[in-house]
Amino acid sequence: MTGWLSDNLASILNGVALGCLLFALAVGLSLVFGVLDVLNLAHGSLFVAGAYAAWRLADDGSLAGFGLAVVLAAGIGGAGGLVLTVATRPLAGRGHLDQALLTLGIALVVTEVVQSWFGRDPHGVLPPLAGSVEIGGGYPIYRLALIGAGLALALAVDQAVERTRVGALVRATVCDPDMVAAMGVNTLLVRSGAFIVGGALAAVAGVLGAPLLGASPHLDAQVLLLALVVVVIGGLGSVRGALLGALLIGQVQSLGIALAPRQAPFLLFGAMAIVLVVRPAGLLGTRAAAA
Amino acid sequence: MLAVALGAMSVAGCTGGALREESAGASSSRGSAVKIGFVAPLSGPFASAGEDLRRGFRFYLDRHEGRLGGRKVAVVEVDEGAGPETGVPAVRRLLTRERVVAAAGIVNSAVALGAHQSFIDARVPLIIATAGANDLTGAKGSEFIWRTSFANADMNDAMGRWLAQQPPIPGGVFLLAPEYVAGHEQINAFKAAFTAGGGRIAGEQYSPFGITQDFQPYLAQVRASGAGAVYAFYAGQDAIGFVRQYRDFGLAGRIPLYSPGFLTEGPTLDAQGAAAEGLFTALHYSSELDTPANRNFVEAYRAAYKALPTAFSVQAYDAGAVLDAALGQIDGAVTGAALVAALPKVGEIESPRGTWRFSPHRNPDQRMYLRQVRREGDRFVNAVVDDLGRTR
Amino acid sequence: MSRLLADRSVPGGAYLPRALTAGRSVPVHLLALAVVVWLVALPFGASAYTVGVVGRILAFGLFVASLDFLVGIAGLPSLGHGAFFGIGAYAAALLARDVTAVGPAQLAIAAAIGAAAAGVTGLVTIRSRGIYFVMLTLAIGELARQVADSWTSLTGGANGLAGVPALKLIPGGGSVVIAGHIYWYVLAMTALAFGLLAAVRASAFGQALKGLRDNEDRMRALGYSVTGLKLAALFVAGGFAGLAGSLWLTQLRFVSPADVGFTTSALALLCVVIAGSGSLWGSFVAAAVVIVVRDELGTVIGGRGPLVLGLMFIAVVYLLPRGLAGLVPGGLRPQPQPALGTGVAE
Repeated sequence: MTGWLSDNLASILNGVALGCLLFALAVGLSLVFGVLDVLNLAHGSLFVAGAYAAWRLADDGSLAGFGLAVVLAAGIGGAGGLVLTVATRPLAGRGHLDQALLTLGIALVVTEVVQSWFGRDPHGVLPPLAGSVEIGGGYPIYRLALIGAGLALALAVDQAVERTRVGALVRATVCDPDMVAAMGVNTLLVRSGAFIVGGALAAVAGVLGAPLLGASPHLDAQVLLLALVVVVIGGLGSVRGALLGALLIGQVQSLGIALAPRQAPFLLFGAMAIVLVVRPAGLLGTRAAAA
Repeated sequence: MLAVALGAMSVAGCTGGALREESAGASSSRGSAVKIGFVAPLSGPFASAGEDLRRGFRFYLDRHEGRLGGRKVAVVEVDEGAGPETGVPAVRRLLTRERVVAAAGIVNSAVALGAHQSFIDARVPLIIATAGANDLTGAKGSEFIWRTSFANADMNDAMGRWLAQQPPIPGGVFLLAPEYVAGHEQINAFKAAFTAGGGRIAGEQYSPFGITQDFQPYLAQVRASGAGAVYAFYAGQDAIGFVRQYRDFGLAGRIPLYSPGFLTEGPTLDAQGAAAEGLFTALHYSSELDTPANRNFVEAYRAAYKALPTAFSVQAYDAGAVLDAALGQIDGAVTGAALVAALPKVGEIESPRGTWRFSPHRNPDQRMYLRQVRREGDRFVNAVVDDLGRTR
Repeated sequence: MSRLLADRSVPGGAYLPRALTAGRSVPVHLLALAVVVWLVALPFGASAYTVGVVGRILAFGLFVASLDFLVGIAGLPSLGHGAFFGIGAYAAALLARDVTAVGPAQLAIAAAIGAAAAGVTGLVTIRSRGIYFVMLTLAIGELARQVADSWTSLTGGANGLAGVPALKLIPGGGSVVIAGHIYWYVLAMTALAFGLLAAVRASAFGQALKGLRDNEDRMRALGYSVTGLKLAALFVAGGFAGLAGSLWLTQLRFVSPADVGFTTSALALLCVVIAGSGSLWGSFVAAAVVIVVRDELGTVIGGRGPLVLGLMFIAVVYLLPRGLAGLVPGGLRPQPQPALGTGVAE
């Protein structure tokens, strides 16, 4: 048992690192689903914005540049979230397909813009913390730091949603938006807030993930798919669900590939299909989706 | 409205050809420009290779006043896109609408495999400038399909033979590649040559094509197998991630990495930087090749495009040379059939990679070079360290 | 005919001019006749390239019509319908390569396999509603694409299946290689399929599906088997999608995993949205617009195809009059909602 563990420790740690990254990306998506009932297929573009910010500012691996990239990404992501709030406002009540098409269109346009500004080549980004630790044969320090940062972020978001008044409003809006509106709360603020914070988190995830995934124009589609699976498995609108789903998918992608590489592509969607059949609202979902 | 638009479209395309048999290739009469098609990825994961290809072909034309075989040439470029779903329709457009008399290019083997029958059916010769699928030339090839680049087996066969001649590697060699046809062809060629020379294989894994970002699980398997060396085929973005992670997870310096040259070619080497230092690769070209022909070429190319040429640039450049030689042999109307008769007679091609000629299988009979990534000033290059002999 | 065209859940519709909605049917009949004549006569004057484009529009239009049936009539929004189109294309390709290249046989196999696949996956998907249903269809579409990508021995993997034998009309007959003849075959088959789909739509089954779309709970209360209806709808939509896939393959003689994946599904969805719900003719018009823009405009502007597509998505969503409420009345919340604007046509 311990032999197996030490052989696969690096994969397991990798799964946690990837999971933390996915959480930062998916929590915004989940909140936007839950609070606004908006299917946002442009979420991956926010991640890509962060990745390119990291490439431009922190390509050489400097910690200061990286920090600057995080701040800039938060700003860009928040602004992007605001733009999306405005863009999807006219579609209120029109159904998820319209939102899917609109946000898909936005994502396609953003990808093209990124390609014309930054070129089509993929770019690697050096981690701000170089060096490896002798765990499981050699494990990069940066990834350990990523795990730490990710878990801290998860804790912060979870506490914000569970313990603060704003968080209570968010949870209430997820459960019953009409009631919250009837209570006189400015739901517009809550809704915009969800989009802005979600967008900022996604872009920051892009920065944090750049040393792992690089910056390339088609990164948005790849991460969006993973984020969608995470959100659906975890349950729409649930922060804890997003964390659970992210850690699960992170492990599937990393340990799963290490142990069963031929079946790896199916594990992801197969897992999602199974969860949806067994628990149609997701593992920790609060919406009664099969009603 | 739409009826008018569709009507206009049918009038525009009105040469009444829908009820005719596909004729024996389009033709260009003496005096009019010869229409040549050029297929390369302008978008998608191979776009940077596509850009090199375009530059190489353009460069040849610019150096020859836009003429091939003494005739003025009109190049029609189409975007191969990310794969056969866009590449095959692009080729179709080139053949049925533009009615080119010959074509060059194609990076993605899948596009080449999907489209090559269309060229044969239309009786239009194709000069492949990258796609390496073994079956495109050779026994299953056609007189219409020629190649100035390589077959997937070539550089791996050379590397396999060379590595088998080195001191035995304790633990054997672990093989890695993406899961698609080129990945398998390259690895199989290496495996055949290496084991024939007495080498031992420690393991073999294929990562999902195009979507693998994290190679750690595969590197973990490498370590678990106790292999003494790794032979891996990756290109483009995969190559950047793979080489970096090879270092990040502690394998660089402990477990030597060998590869066909795509791992460190062009922009991928720039992105990998120091992580790639010391890597041995095998390819039919390096910008560092120290011959007068190549030095001239590199200098002129750099002046024109402010970048070093890559194998892709040279392959496309040579496609221009091949068409130049073939067109030069034709008197009278240029047709697909005339070109197909002329191509076997083009003889030796003077190329920056050295002189080469077509083998009977319509693939370049050329030299392979062993290269190592070395620092040169503030950047890294593929220094040529050995000659691995001619392709078999 | 006019009942068919007037039967749109979005008053004013998405495409046909206002004059037609006032109930005047003569201009509509004339227009339809003119289009049919033009389609039949096309090979006499046009180039091989042009008939190729129109042929592809016809095949894709049929695929869009099948999706419109699913989304607009049955109210099941699917982001993975391309799977059945692609599966049909693969089935036809394998049949042509290994057994027979006779066209009608390919059509039959493709339709059967498309329908079967839709039915089997439907058993899983219809257990969810709303956004979860959408996500499941997306997942299944992607799963199908990955199967096509990795099952190299059957599907040729990422390279796809190339060099598919040319169409034959009768067993042992000669291959049809002239572009105009292939086009007529596609036109004839598409017209037949289109007629069949319209008939299904107008039947009692079609009406039941519309009732399902508008108010599922009411239908259940009325004693209809909701599950049965949904499965049947998927079966029909999948079958026609497979049929369209076979017609697509006959022309391109090539199929790859991308034909199964999300890109194809999204493109078809765009067409459905442009066409507006319930307009079978609109499916072909929308397919024409999208394919012409993507393939023709795409080359002119050099690799900027996705940009144009993205702008089209955005423009269509914003600029369509009276929104897209007709697509899925009341949105996808699992709550009973009053049906919007459908009372008239029934």
